[in-house]
Amino acid sequence: MHESVMSARSICKRSVLALSMALPLLVAPLAAVAATESASAHSIQSARASETLLLGITQAGKRLVAVGERGHILYSDDAGDSWQQGRVPTRQMLTAVFFADEKNGWAVGHDALILHSADGGESWSEQYRDTGLEAPLLDVWFADERHGFAVGAYGTMLRTDDAGASWEDIGGELNNEDGYHLNAITRIKDAGLFVVGEMGLMLRSADEGQTWEEVASPYEGSLFGVLPTQQADTLVVYGLRGHLYRSDDFGDSWQDISLQTPQGGTLQFGLADGALLDDGRLLVVGHGGAVLVSNDNGQSFSVSLREDRFSYAGVAMRPDGRLILVGQGGVHIEGSMATP
Amino acid sequence: MISKSKSNPAAVMERLVFNNRPAVILLTLLVSLFLFWQAAQVRPATSFEKMIPLKHPYIEKMLEFRDDLANLGNSVRISVEAVDGDIFNAEYMATLHQISDEAFYIPGVDRSGVRSLWSPNVRWTEVTEEGFDGGEVIPQTYDGSAESLEELRSNILKSGQVGRLVANNFKSSIVEIPLLEVFPDPEDNSRLLQLDYRQFSHQLEEHIRDKYEQQNPNVKIHIIGFAKKVGDLIDGLIDVAMFFIVALGITFVLLLRFTRCIRSTLAVLFTTLIAVGWQLGLLNLLGFGIDPYSMLVPFLVFAIGISHGVQVVNGIAISSSTSVNPLSAARMAFRQLFVPGMVALSSDAVGFITLMLIDIGVIRELAIGASVGVAVIILTNLIFLPVVVSYLGLGKKALEYSRGSETRESRLARRFSAFASARVAPVSVVLALAAAGFGLWYGQNLQIGDLDQGAPELRPDSRYNLDNDFIIHNYSTSSDVLVVMVKTASESCSRYPVMEAMDDLTWKMENTPGVQSVISMVTVSKQVIKGMNEGNLKWEALSRNADILNNSIARADSLYNSDCSLAPVLVFLEDHKAQTLSTAIAAVEDFAAERNTDDYQFLLASGNAGIEAATNEVIALSETKMLIAVYAAVMFMCLLTFRSVAATACVILPLVLTSVLGNALMAFLGIGVKVATLPVIALGVGVGVDYGIYIYSRLEAFLRMGMPLQQAYYETLKSTGKAVFFTGICLAIGVATWIFSAIKFQADMGLMLTFMFLWNMFGAIWLLPALAHFLIKPEKLYAANSQQQATD
Repeated sequence: MHESVMSARSICKRSVLALSMALPLLVAPLAAVAATESASAHSIQSARASETLLLGITQAGKRLVAVGERGHILYSDDAGDSWQQGRVPTRQMLTAVFFADEKNGWAVGHDALILHSADGGESWSEQYRDTGLEAPLLDVWFADERHGFAVGAYGTMLRTDDAGASWEDIGGELNNEDGYHLNAITRIKDAGLFVVGEMGLMLRSADEGQTWEEVASPYEGSLFGVLPTQQADTLVVYGLRGHLYRSDDFGDSWQDISLQTPQGGTLQFGLADGALLDDGRLLVVGHGGAVLVSNDNGQSFSVSLREDRFSYAGVAMRPDGRLILVGQGGVHIEGSMATP
Repeated sequence: MISKSKSNPAAVMERLVFNNRPAVILLTLLVSLFLFWQAAQVRPATSFEKMIPLKHPYIEKMLEFRDDLANLGNSVRISVEAVDGDIFNAEYMATLHQISDEAFYIPGVDRSGVRSLWSPNVRWTEVTEEGFDGGEVIPQTYDGSAESLEELRSNILKSGQVGRLVANNFKSSIVEIPLLEVFPDPEDNSRLLQLDYRQFSHQLEEHIRDKYEQQNPNVKIHIIGFAKKVGDLIDGLIDVAMFFIVALGITFVLLLRFTRCIRSTLAVLFTTLIAVGWQLGLLNLLGFGIDPYSMLVPFLVFAIGISHGVQVVNGIAISSSTSVNPLSAARMAFRQLFVPGMVALSSDAVGFITLMLIDIGVIRELAIGASVGVAVIILTNLIFLPVVVSYLGLGKKALEYSRGSETRESRLARRFSAFASARVAPVSVVLALAAAGFGLWYGQNLQIGDLDQGAPELRPDSRYNLDNDFIIHNYSTSSDVLVVMVKTASESCSRYPVMEAMDDLTWKMENTPGVQSVISMVTVSKQVIKGMNEGNLKWEALSRNADILNNSIARADSLYNSDCSLAPVLVFLEDHKAQTLSTAIAAVEDFAAERNTDDYQFLLASGNAGIEAATNEVIALSETKMLIAVYAAVMFMCLLTFRSVAATACVILPLVLTSVLGNALMAFLGIGVKVATLPVIALGVGVGVDYGIYIYSRLEAFLRMGMPLQQAYYETLKSTGKAVFFTGICLAIGVATWIFSAIKFQADMGLMLTFMFLWNMFGAIWLLPALAHFLIKPEKLYAANSQQQATD
């Protein structure tokens, strides 16, 4: 009664690659036309934007900024109680957001869009777009307000050294011949940059992203996120079906962290994103209302499943110790989290 | 007005009719034989198309694409509720299994589409390292044990059916059964049967609801769907036929009290029933059936027939005091009443005919049926009835009573005649003006369309609407759907620009007040693309890649047509109030104006909310048009009869007051202007004018004799006041029984017509003389009369 089908996506991807090889000249002008059409469309100001699918949340100084579908970028100066909507020149889905300081931030999304804000998320302008990719960028990270990376579908990796005025595609320099998606990027304390992606793909760079090397992966399924800890060389990665691994030597060796649900079973939900809090705690959220907390730099996690069973894509902590979760259904503020 | 000259048409008719009495009787009986045979063949007919404005652009578009949207709707949903606990227990699941099986075998069910937790086509899927994993929600290994129920629970969570097949609170689940309008006969597969909604609805009650609620007391059944609603409507329609008998009984008693004569009572009832039979027979000859709206017509014909019959019998009774035998009394009454009777009935007919202006089939059929009925009454009650009474004669008691009343002082009439006095008339006019002002002010709250939750045809507390409430509250779907149709070239509905525009419309509508949610192939596409990308939320968006987009809608059946040239966008609304509908419609029209291109167009409208929006527009447009037409028509009839603007004003102004107060009453009772209540205005005015015509023509006759106004009014009340009062009561009783109909709009019609008929009668007795006090100069009428007699 169970049956498995081959991933439809990989079939699609192959045909996409074939098509873009065969018809680059034909496709490009068409894409350009479509691009100018949607370029004129700004996201619509809506009171319901904070109830729609949101995919990333971060802090710009004390301000919270969240991004999501339909070009929604929301910001809150009262720890998530009320939200304002930024002026955003797109209606495409935005997948991730990062602020280098309290003013300068970048958001990425579908059509390989990169948007920049210099005023803490209130207004945004487009820095980069590649409609022809027909796929999204999935994460963005900046070392400072000038140097940053955006990663995404089909092995796309973009680098800027001038605050995003120009972006260089360095995806081809990576050891990723199959063009696996790059899902997340971050910096590990005292070690370097780390990227995770599809089919267990892991890449690391010890020289601020000048060169990248592949890391032997403990897992063949997709990894959706990577989190540093307050401990040097130590990180956790996580992905499909409740898989979470920890390394304390920048990826040379891995430990499979077992995740038990409150009901006693093994967690089976995909894990999407997480956050390292100032007090050193780690938070990871995912599908089925899963919220994971670690107080020991990722050696163990306690798991809770929220009643609503929504899928979450991002998490932040309020000053009063309550969690702000974003994902399906928009912003959810969790009741006070017990500190052990 | 009623001249004694031998050449006038009433006298000609009188000679023609009364010189050939046996022929009149024989002819009537022969025609009756034929038409009653026809009437016996009238069948209930509820045609969906007749209830909607076919010429409205929305409806034209809907019908144009009807086949493409065919599988979008005609299904019935049976929600099986666990009274105690939730659905995760073995007994509940066993009952659910039996219900799904039983429903499968009901004739008319499209068996391939039956869905419940037990259907093999209800599956769960899950993303794994290898791709998709999936299976039936109820596993093959299910045995009712605690473990398999736990497995079921986790499968349901993974299946995405919560809010659709399974209630949000896990206390009920749904068996969905799509229907075929035409299906092969189970006994003889070569024959095709038409789905009989009434029979189907009864089968659901018997084989599903009654049977399983009895079998498992922990289960409650809720059933909704178009077919169930129509079944309940037809049942209600048949109940209404019973009301006719009630109206008949009450009328009989009242008639007997009024005429004090069993012979004339029976004669009036008998001839009026002939009128009803003729009307139904003619309806069948014209090819019409009886629907919940035209059902009103026999009641109206009966009431109008009785009221004119009463006038005739009353006239004969009065004439009897000066006549030698029943024949000459009948002849005299015929001569006096034929013209005012014709005028009154013609104004009724003209009033009804104005309903033809409204482009909705049922209203037009109502207009035709009512006009035919009124024409029939001229034959049966103005001609046939006096002939019958001329043979029968009147009872002794009745004659004595009538003779006595000729000379007896009537205290009631005396008191009421004060309405024409200089002391009371100004007060009356001021009161009427105040009432009109209040009515106009309060009537501003009057709304277009249906205002209640649920199926507007049925009462809010009907079982259907309670079931509907249950399902709306426990599942994530509403029953008010506006469908926007997206038209493209063949094989183009899944192109990126089209889907992107549909997605933009989705968001625009979700930001429109009154919109609950929006579903289209875009919804499915995004979910599938997310699924193809390991369930990652960051991919829950449309893809610019044509292959991916095409693949993504493969499973979105019924959300686009067979050649991908039409895709519906389903906008679920919180209710179907006119305001909600017009806001949603305006948002779509804005969007269409901005975004339609040569390649794709957003077209309105289908779905019950789309149809209601179109109907509301037609109703709003027709309301004023019809009011002007009906008042113009009755004013013309009055001018023609009385040749005086002042007289016309005396007759019409009380009607206007009734219309204004009627609007206020509707606003107060929360009844909207809709297909059912719009005709009420025309019917009320058309019939209401009768009272004024009868009273004024008598009043004028007495004024011409030189009486002062109050005295003339006293005489008028004494001779016809009682008949007018009785007429009002008869008309009201004929329609008042409708107030108890199970069908909401029939109850609304009954209530409003009762009000209009009674208040019009009251207005004619109270306000008409007050207006006459100010508008009519009795001296002039007397002078004109003397002059005319001098020249004769």
